[in-house]
Amino acid sequence: MSTVDFLAPRTWEEALAAKAERRDALPIAGGTDVMVELNFDRRRPAALLDLTRIGELAEWGSDGSVLRIGAGVSYRRLIEELGGRLPGLAMAARTVGSAQIRNRGTVGGNLGSASPAGDAHPPLLAAAATVQVASVRGTRRVPVAEFFTGPKRSVLAPDELIEAILVPPAAGPQQFAKVGTRNAMVIAVCSFAISLDRERQAVGTGIGSAAPTPVRALAAEQLLAAARWDRPLPEPTVEKFGELVAAAASPIDDVRATAAYRRRALAVLARRTLRWAWEELR
Amino acid sequence: MAIVGTRMTRVEDHRLLTGAATYVDNLRLPELAGAAFVTFVRSPIAHARITHIDTAQARAARGVVAVYTAADIDVPPMGTPPMLTNGAAMARPCLAKDVVRFAGEAVAVVVAEDRAAAADAAGLVDVEYDPLPAVVSVEDALAGRTLLFPEAGTNLAHEAGELSAADPFADCEVVVTREITNQRLAPVPMETRAAACVPDGEGGLVLWLSTQCPHAVRDDMTRQLGLLPGQLRVIAPDVGGGFGGKIPSEVDYTVLCWIVRQLGRPVRWMETRSETMLTMNHGRGQRQRVTIGGRRDGTVSAYRLDILADAGAYPHTAWLPSATVWMATGAYGIPRVEARARCVVTNTTPMGAYRGAGRPEAIAAIERAIDLFAAEIGMDPADVRRRNLLRPEAFPYQTPTGMEYDSGDYPAALEQVLAAADYPGLRAEQARRRAAGDHRQLGIGLSCYVEVTGLGGEEHGKITMDADGAVTAYVGTTPQGQGHATTLSMIIADRLGVPPEQVSVRHTDTGSLDQGGGTFGSRSLQLGGSVVHEATQRLCDDALPLAAAALEADERDVVLDRESGRWRAAGDPAREISWAELVRRSRPGGSFSVEVKYALPKLTFSYGTHLALVEVDTETGQVKLVRFIGVDDAGRLINPLLAEGQRHGGIAQGIAQALYEEMRYDEDGNPVTATLADYTVPSAADLPGFELLTRETPTPHNPLGAKGIGEAGTIGAAPAVQNAVIDAVSHLGVRHIDMPLTPERVWQAIKEATS
Ligand SMILES: Cc1cc2nc3c(=O)[nH]c(=O)nc-3n(C[C@H](O)[C@H](O)[C@H](O)COP(=O)(O)OP(=O)(O)OC[C@H]3O[C@@H](n4cnc5c(N)ncnc54)[C@H](O)[C@@H]3O)c2cc1C
Repeated sequence: MSTVDFLAPRTWEEALAAKAERRDALPIAGGTDVMVELNFDRRRPAALLDLTRIGELAEWGSDGSVLRIGAGVSYRRLIEELGGRLPGLAMAARTVGSAQIRNRGTVGGNLGSASPAGDAHPPLLAAAATVQVASVRGTRRVPVAEFFTGPKRSVLAPDELIEAILVPPAAGPQQFAKVGTRNAMVIAVCSFAISLDRERQAVGTGIGSAAPTPVRALAAEQLLAAARWDRPLPEPTVEKFGELVAAAASPIDDVRATAAYRRRALAVLARRTLRWAWEELR
Repeated sequence: MAIVGTRMTRVEDHRLLTGAATYVDNLRLPELAGAAFVTFVRSPIAHARITHIDTAQARAARGVVAVYTAADIDVPPMGTPPMLTNGAAMARPCLAKDVVRFAGEAVAVVVAEDRAAAADAAGLVDVEYDPLPAVVSVEDALAGRTLLFPEAGTNLAHEAGELSAADPFADCEVVVTREITNQRLAPVPMETRAAACVPDGEGGLVLWLSTQCPHAVRDDMTRQLGLLPGQLRVIAPDVGGGFGGKIPSEVDYTVLCWIVRQLGRPVRWMETRSETMLTMNHGRGQRQRVTIGGRRDGTVSAYRLDILADAGAYPHTAWLPSATVWMATGAYGIPRVEARARCVVTNTTPMGAYRGAGRPEAIAAIERAIDLFAAEIGMDPADVRRRNLLRPEAFPYQTPTGMEYDSGDYPAALEQVLAAADYPGLRAEQARRRAAGDHRQLGIGLSCYVEVTGLGGEEHGKITMDADGAVTAYVGTTPQGQGHATTLSMIIADRLGVPPEQVSVRHTDTGSLDQGGGTFGSRSLQLGGSVVHEATQRLCDDALPLAAAALEADERDVVLDRESGRWRAAGDPAREISWAELVRRSRPGGSFSVEVKYALPKLTFSYGTHLALVEVDTETGQVKLVRFIGVDDAGRLINPLLAEGQRHGGIAQGIAQALYEEMRYDEDGNPVTATLADYTVPSAADLPGFELLTRETPTPHNPLGAKGIGEAGTIGAAPAVQNAVIDAVSHLGVRHIDMPLTPERVWQAIKEATS
């Protein structure tokens, strides 16, 4: 018979100490990914490290000019409490699972799973967010774009935990769109986020479900940064933007869709979200 | 006042909603104390020879009571029904013996003290497989290069109907032919398969089973296990949905009963969702070749439907496509018709009934064919339907495929829906969007269906009336959530003049009613309802002389006042007697009791028209269902509220087939959509409100005038939605897209048509 140790630290320090001591412990926040993995017997962890008793992990606040979102903040609270300041992330959060999943699931857990289909990832990429990770050895900040290293893999060391996500509040229009095979409770076939910074005339993008990791579309961002922001975008620029986004992806065929369709749909999502965002600029 | 016809709320709901339901796994009966838990070890491979099974480690594991393989179980395999053309050599062993024929087939079974120990030990059973080539597509199966049952000499399990040598299309101005796939679906009831079984202390067994047909299971199990009919009592407690998947007698149940006889102790069994997705029968799964021909004025004069159907690994219901043959012409009067179904075995989960069971496939084919024909001659699909629908004066109508349609007004149903939808307005809006090149195109889809209901046309029941006037009805139909207790008690209450609260309806226990048919094929209300109707009649007939004696009146002068439930003598209002008094007086210390068997003289045919309005995003292929309007005529409605519930759920499942669901396999026979993340059952969030209109044309064939409504929604909805999506992109040259109409498929079709 296999038994599982259940570690339930009450403070962040205890959690870090526990993780340092039990590197084989699997953190569990909302459990909406962890319990699925256990149920399908994809994982048999020797220990579970429950993070839900640590109050500060479920808090958010300001950290200088950026918002600091504790790893344990649920999608529902993101939508209700931060929707105004982080509209892109909130749009993505609204498409996650069902009400039950949004009540339990967390952004920290989404990052922890590091699935290419994680819906929080594209808006975090587009907003140039930073992940704060910690261990007993200290704390470090990793740009989201560098956080993912492969499908379901990240830079987290075995003794590290995600503490918070640091996101600049929106400095202009943000959009998110997703194609799936049904409306709710669906794993994205592909998704796309865009964020415009009105003052700096800077552009952020994020692509989901269309590469081994969530990725940015750098060439597409540069194309827009070089455009005239004080007037409607010429249609060829919009077309080109779509093409560059599609080109930034490296999708695969799987049970949900073919690579060809993903590329095509991404181009459509990119053009549409760009038009909506550009419309909002004025 | 009559209760029948009113929207009485369900008597079942309080219990179900307050957690008092007794699904098998919730049963906490003293007999089940100390039950061991049973888990099957299932093949991860579709087709292989079993070369070795080592159970030593599993048997030595903590909490394990026993581990068995095919070598231990001395029970004959489950034979196929004799009506199959080639079924004799395709029996199903209780546990796979030398060969596994689908991913999910049980090869061993573990009995342990608890569920976790059973699951752990199942993982320790070491099975070695020598893979064989997997037969996945029906075309490969028919080609027969690899045979699932070499002794049978063929993969063709059953054949029904035939195609003529003559060309029925010779004089047609227009002929259209198309290959259509009616995809494989999984029933996905909320409750997975589950059972509990105990020795009854007298050499027999009691089996609590999540089933739609307790009596048939009893008969099949006793036969297979060599028991006398009285030695197995099957009880279906609350059942959390079935949709056809809980009709069959399954080898798993045989194994459970065998284990209990072996060990002499109670056992429980409950599958995980992952198991049930592979083990509960799938449904549909037909490749169809439709040919439709006629004149340019819209008259359809010939139709041919050639079906290659998938039976899965064991063809116990390979006769189901016959129902597709019977219903081939749908709601139309087509003079020349031929239909044939060939059903082959493949290395996939066995097929069986799924809501509609053979009839949705017929309607999907003919409704697509009508639209293909309309597109070919450039006529509005509504007009083609107007021209060819059977007219009310045609009834009773003998179809070329052997059915006799009873009653209805098919054109009126179509007009009712077209009017409610403002059909011309919708076509105008569609034209506007087409002209504007909008990327959200509008599609309007119609489906006129007919459904044969009341199959398995015999049913049993019993009614008792106690000394306190309480009525208990026992009936051989058995619910999985439909609300039978509500509707049957309404019928009884009206017939006997007692309040419905005074009536209790019992079903599902072979111990309290010896014979029964069960629930499938939209039969329960008309058969179960007609049984109780007959039984109340008999009860009244029996009571009449007793009432006459009690009232000292002539029988001819005594009547039951159905308002008050009192027997009265004509002309003397003071002379009356209540049911309770009559029982006490005529049967001191006893009760009235009648037992009846009812046979439906002829099948009944429900029909209707459904219209779906969709928006298709021509850039991504995404479909949004905007409106759904349906008229369904199931004869007389006993309870319109429950009928609406059946329509609602049925329509949702029809939409699910059109847009979302498909059980798929890779070329090695591995299921690739066997989780609910990939097998995308829609939720309320995916569905609009439905606009439900009614018609009530009673059937002459039963005393209630009622037809079946359980499957109608599913049958009508899928082709309406499919036709709507194709209609939305037909101006781009798209003629057909197979279900489910996923964004990718729609996009692909547009791309192919426009490039
Ligand atoms: C029905 C259903 C629908 C879903 N729909 C969607 C959807 O639409 N979009 C989507 O993106 N996802 C979806 N998911 C997946 C899941 O809900 C999300 O990934 C969610 O964000 C996970 O958060 P959680 O708090 O539940 O994580 P958990 O399951 O608790 O953890 C997830 C992973 O992160 C690790 N982890 C958690 N917290 C930390 C931490 N602080 N530090 C380090 N590692 C940590 C865990 O060890 C685990 O590996 C769905 C899941 C289900 C069951």
